Amino acid sequence: MAEPLIRAASVTRRFGSFTAVDGVSLTVESGEIVGLLGANGAGKTTLIRMILGLLAPSEGDLALFGGEPSRESRARLGYVPQGLGLWDDLTVAENLAFVDEAFGSRVTEVPEALRGSRDSLVGGIGLGRQRQLAFVAAFGHAPELLVLDEPTSGVDPLSRARLWDTIHDSADAGVGVLVTTHYMQEAEQCDRLVLMSQGVAVAEGQLADIVGGTTALAVRTGRWQDAFAALDAAGVLVMLAGTHVRAVDADEARVRAALGGLEADLEAVPATLEEAMVARERASA
Amino acid sequence: MKAMILKEFRELRRDRRTMAMLILLPIVLLTIFGYAANFTVDSIPTRVIGPDAEQVAAHAPALFDIGQVSPDATTEDAMTWMRDNDTEVVIDTTTQPPTAYVDGASLFTAQAADAALGRLGDQVRIEILYNPDLDTSWVMVPALIGLILTFIGTIITSIGLVKERQSGTLEQLAVMPLRPADVIIGKIAPYFILAAFDMLVVTLLGVWIFGVPFNGSPWLFALGAGIFLFVVLGLGVLISTASQTQAQAIQLAIMLLLPQILLSGFIFPLSAMPAAIAAIGRCLPLTYFVQLAQGIFLRGAGLDALWVPFVVLAGMALLVFTAAVLRFRRDLAPSAHRRAAGRKAEATR
Repeated sequence: MAEPLIRAASVTRRFGSFTAVDGVSLTVESGEIVGLLGANGAGKTTLIRMILGLLAPSEGDLALFGGEPSRESRARLGYVPQGLGLWDDLTVAENLAFVDEAFGSRVTEVPEALRGSRDSLVGGIGLGRQRQLAFVAAFGHAPELLVLDEPTSGVDPLSRARLWDTIHDSADAGVGVLVTTHYMQEAEQCDRLVLMSQGVAVAEGQLADIVGGTTALAVRTGRWQDAFAALDAAGVLVMLAGTHVRAVDADEARVRAALGGLEADLEAVPATLEEAMVARERASA
Repeated sequence: MKAMILKEFRELRRDRRTMAMLILLPIVLLTIFGYAANFTVDSIPTRVIGPDAEQVAAHAPALFDIGQVSPDATTEDAMTWMRDNDTEVVIDTTTQPPTAYVDGASLFTAQAADAALGRLGDQVRIEILYNPDLDTSWVMVPALIGLILTFIGTIITSIGLVKERQSGTLEQLAVMPLRPADVIIGKIAPYFILAAFDMLVVTLLGVWIFGVPFNGSPWLFALGAGIFLFVVLGLGVLISTASQTQAQAIQLAIMLLLPQILLSGFIFPLSAMPAAIAAIGRCLPLTYFVQLAQGIFLRGAGLDALWVPFVVLAGMALLVFTAAVLRFRRDLAPSAHRRAAGRKAEATR
């Protein structure tokens, strides 16, 4: 069997007495989209920085294209960091030209969508366009692996859908993708998910495996503030979607008892990714 | 308003660098520069030559610190000593009346010597070498070139490098298949070229506008300035590796720049400072550039006379630049650093 593009085995990274990543194992194969989920501070970015060789693991083994992260292996990957890694004082075309030259790849054409901003300074164009540019720059040298750290945050839904089309096209062409995200819709598009909480990989599998174990009850009542307060006081994990109260990982009897005399309709609904994440986090705390 | 003032104090208390600038720096500045800020020269290194050397040396005013009395030395020897900056004044008794050669490149010393010798009336003829009108700009311009290079090298370079770190693009460079050397040289070369261009412009303006003589070899000066640039660029890179933000880089650069301005002998003569303060001055690169630049510009001195500042600056350049490159490299290629550390650990096992 071919060596995975990324293989992390029980990787740990400590900063002083703080453990940011704790014994995480993960693989990314060719043509596979692996989603890395978790709240802010869960350790996703630290793990990515170790994979890229920007941080050395305190413990554990890490291989990028079967070896230690190096200049040669980094030439085979495309990376879009959270901060995008673009040069604000260069124009769109100049940014692309620099990246092409650094990777020794052919000149990337400024794509149609960015052509109007070709000669604009990157610092002066909108975040959506900046993200598009970061994608184009990362794809320019035909990488075998894409590492995308929250690549679509701050992007409108249409642009997000387009960016995901690009990710799928790449994966279909055999590119491995490691992507971090907060969004349920994006997690659905991944072949496999790894859920991190407080530095630990708490769940792994497909979206259904991660969300499946979590139940939710929609609590419909005119007095939603009272319902929220009552459930919260009873120690039920309670979330709010608009004016809909949702009790996570609690059975009907417990919710009824917590609500007391308050009249409400209860309906079992599928838990959201966010609810599953919060429930897992609470369980692991 | 009270809440605002409290918040500000709380923030300040936790910002150690700013606190250091607010509390420590004024104390250090006051004590060091209080001693350093002294234009009064009370001792002038002097040599006496010619048949009446012994007699003149015995009767010279106390201001002149007679280091060497050489009845057999010639006027030619005297000129060599002056050019090589071995002494500030030579009293030549081969002429009648004796001639006192004074080094006009050391402005305050020369002014003090001129005044003291002037009081002797016709007993001595005064000849001020290299800067006969004791023109301040002649002394300042060569030193200012060093100050400008220091400014570009430390402040501008460190700001440019920290900007890359602050905006997250340094990380992007580290992920690209560039060699650390490509990044380091690519990042520093533009500042080197700009600083060299600035040096050329200031030198030409100094010569044309202020009429500062350029008596030495332009190539020797270019070599010295090049070495000095490596020192100050290295300092700039070092500052950038110790700073997270541009504001921190500016703070650190100012802390390095201020002592160079005040203790390098470019404003206050080193010979007028207490030994301990002058010793600090002798640890600063600008001190040696000032010696080198004034020597080449005004005295037309060659490498034989200026080898000390050249060697010191070359040593500083090697030390500072190597440290800077290693630290910058560590930021760029932590994996390579770890591999090297791993190999070392295995070797010692």
